[in-house]
Amino acid sequence: MRSRFDEQLMLLNKEMIEMGALCEEAIELVAKALETNNVEIYKKVRPISLEIDQKEKDIEARCMKLLLQQQPVAKDLRQISAALKMITDMERIGDQAEDIAEIIGYLNGENRNNSVPVQEMAKATIKMVTESIDAYVNKDVALAEAILKEDDIIDEYFMESKRRLIKMVAENPENGEYALDLLMVAKYFERIGDHATNIAEWVIFSVTGVHEEA
Amino acid sequence: MKKKIFQSILRVTIVILFISLILITGVLHNYFQKIQNQQLKEELALASLGVEEGEMQYLSGLEEHNNRITWIDSNGNIRFDNQADITKMENHSDREEFMEAIETGFGSSSRHSVTLTENTVYEAKLLSDGTVLRISMNQKSILALLLGLIQPFGIILILAVVVAYFIAEKVARQIIEPLDEVDLEHPLREESYEELAPFLKRIHYQKKQIRWQLEELNQKKLEFEQVISHMKEGLILLDAKDQIISINPAAMELFQTTLECIGNDFLSVERKQKLTQTIEKAREEGWGQTRFEKNNREYQFDVTGIRTEKGLIGSVILAFDVTEQKNAEKMRREFSANVSHELKTPLQSIIGSAELLQNNLVKNEDVPRFIGHIHTEASRLVVLIEDIIRLSELDEERELQKEELSLYQIVNDVLKSLQDKANERNIKLEITGDEGQMTGVYRLLHEVIYNLCENAIKYNVDHGSVRVCIEERQTKVGITVEDTGIGIPKEHQSRVFERFYRVDKSHSKKTGGTGLGLSIVKHAVSYQNGTVELISEEGKGTKVEIWFPK
Repeated sequence: MRSRFDEQLMLLNKEMIEMGALCEEAIELVAKALETNNVEIYKKVRPISLEIDQKEKDIEARCMKLLLQQQPVAKDLRQISAALKMITDMERIGDQAEDIAEIIGYLNGENRNNSVPVQEMAKATIKMVTESIDAYVNKDVALAEAILKEDDIIDEYFMESKRRLIKMVAENPENGEYALDLLMVAKYFERIGDHATNIAEWVIFSVTGVHEEA
Repeated sequence: MKKKIFQSILRVTIVILFISLILITGVLHNYFQKIQNQQLKEELALASLGVEEGEMQYLSGLEEHNNRITWIDSNGNIRFDNQADITKMENHSDREEFMEAIETGFGSSSRHSVTLTENTVYEAKLLSDGTVLRISMNQKSILALLLGLIQPFGIILILAVVVAYFIAEKVARQIIEPLDEVDLEHPLREESYEELAPFLKRIHYQKKQIRWQLEELNQKKLEFEQVISHMKEGLILLDAKDQIISINPAAMELFQTTLECIGNDFLSVERKQKLTQTIEKAREEGWGQTRFEKNNREYQFDVTGIRTEKGLIGSVILAFDVTEQKNAEKMRREFSANVSHELKTPLQSIIGSAELLQNNLVKNEDVPRFIGHIHTEASRLVVLIEDIIRLSELDEERELQKEELSLYQIVNDVLKSLQDKANERNIKLEITGDEGQMTGVYRLLHEVIYNLCENAIKYNVDHGSVRVCIEERQTKVGITVEDTGIGIPKEHQSRVFERFYRVDKSHSKKTGGTGLGLSIVKHAVSYQNGTVELISEEGKGTKVEIWFPK
């Protein structure tokens, strides 16, 4: 009985990592597209986002089944409930990557974003998402705690972007639409950072049983 | 063991008990019957005497608890019975003992009662008056005797069980003790039951075999581990569930993990979609390949699914560092682009001049200048093509004629031919050192020294100097070309040996040259198994040091 349960927990773990890998891939694609001004990126990100949605449903069903059939307690229960919360965050990351891809399409290959640290934001976000999934994979509480601090860097980047974009619009009002699009991209990255923070919090919860309120 | 011994003891006891019971009861029963019959007959004889003497008086004097006596007349009617009411008794003329007595004088018979546990024995005697006196006695049948013995027999049985249990325990212990003491590590060392000898011999032999096979297995495992741990390529073995069975140090470094990952899912080590999909593909189709960047280097992953008759049992991932290969590919691409560019530039210039001449757009006095221009550009092209041919010759690694030669001699020749060029800019040429005897290809060495000295002059400052020093050692010969020129900036030093690489990006025509000189030097030196070292400081000069084996 127990071995069957362990096997199912392992499968759950595997699916979680797969879902995490999909999220990483989605935002990496988006970041690369931002760098190369690839307007077509939406077509590539969309299927990944759909796959992430499907994974969320699969994992949710698996968790429910485990909760009902095995009635886990203590650490097992924490792992499953943390997984249930984490997939929501991961699904949001996928959606936001898709949203960014859509906006890149609107930018029409214009590259005036040198003034805004979007590249740096993308890099910092990728790092956070990768680390949060690494923390989950290795049950690494120290790494998860480090991620919580990294979120401040992204927030700072966002504020900086906002300041520069305001300046940009003030100097050249015709740049308004572009500036707004870029602000959206920055905001989405900032949100992805928040979701990565959430994942890290749930990792800490699943290991220690204490959920930190950010 | 104990149980078996117990069971057999008990079984034997029960069988013996039964047989002796039956035999004893049978013999005893027979004996008692005989005695009883004898008694009965004597009693009959006594009674018949009594009846003949005193008739009824004797009979009625008999007490009731004696054996039953019946007096029957010659017709079978009952005259007297001491235990039953004669009026209710039927005619006895058809009784066996009666008929026998009438005929022979004596008669006897026995009849079983209804319950079978009793047996009635009758003895009859014909009296002198023709009447018959019968005496009968109830005997217990053999069955009744047996039934009576059941209780004591049961007690004996219980006793037998208990005794058998203790005996079995003891016997089993005695038998097992030497067996327990057999040293299975060294089965032949101590004496034991001789019945066990073949068994122990076999164990001994098998132990030897196992030890031998284990050693062989360990040896093979060690060899395998040695091989994979010294492999430059990363190697990972996965089982059918994608859990890691084995990982070599190269792969551990690549995926930044430790031996602890063994037994974990491969996804926990690397979750790159490309690789996951390739593993999936290898499981289905048997083979898959992918490439991606990891730790700032390009890796190629070959995944092979391992199948046996039982189905998929796992997969092997082999990781190659293909960064060099990728760079080489990039360089090759750049090379072709550079070659076409370098070839096209002089040609364009020639075509331009030729077109002007063709359309008579050139003044007569300018014609020689244009033709001169065409000539220089064409010569440049020839030099370039010659360089490329030389390089590709070196690339092909054809076997070239080697001979004994003196480096000093070559340097001397080269410097002589470059003297004019040096004089133009007042550059001092100097040669020092040993004779530099070695075996080599004259043409290549000449080329190497020529290119180096030419560069040393070309990239020198006016009134500078070039020093060539030859040094002969036990096994190798060195040549150092040192100038006081403009030097090579640090960031370019590692790339100057690349084809068409120019520090001066404008490919300026001022200094001339094709950008292939140092590339040819590098190839020619490596053809002779030598080494090149470049030491340079911007603005101070460049020193190139080459060592050839003798």
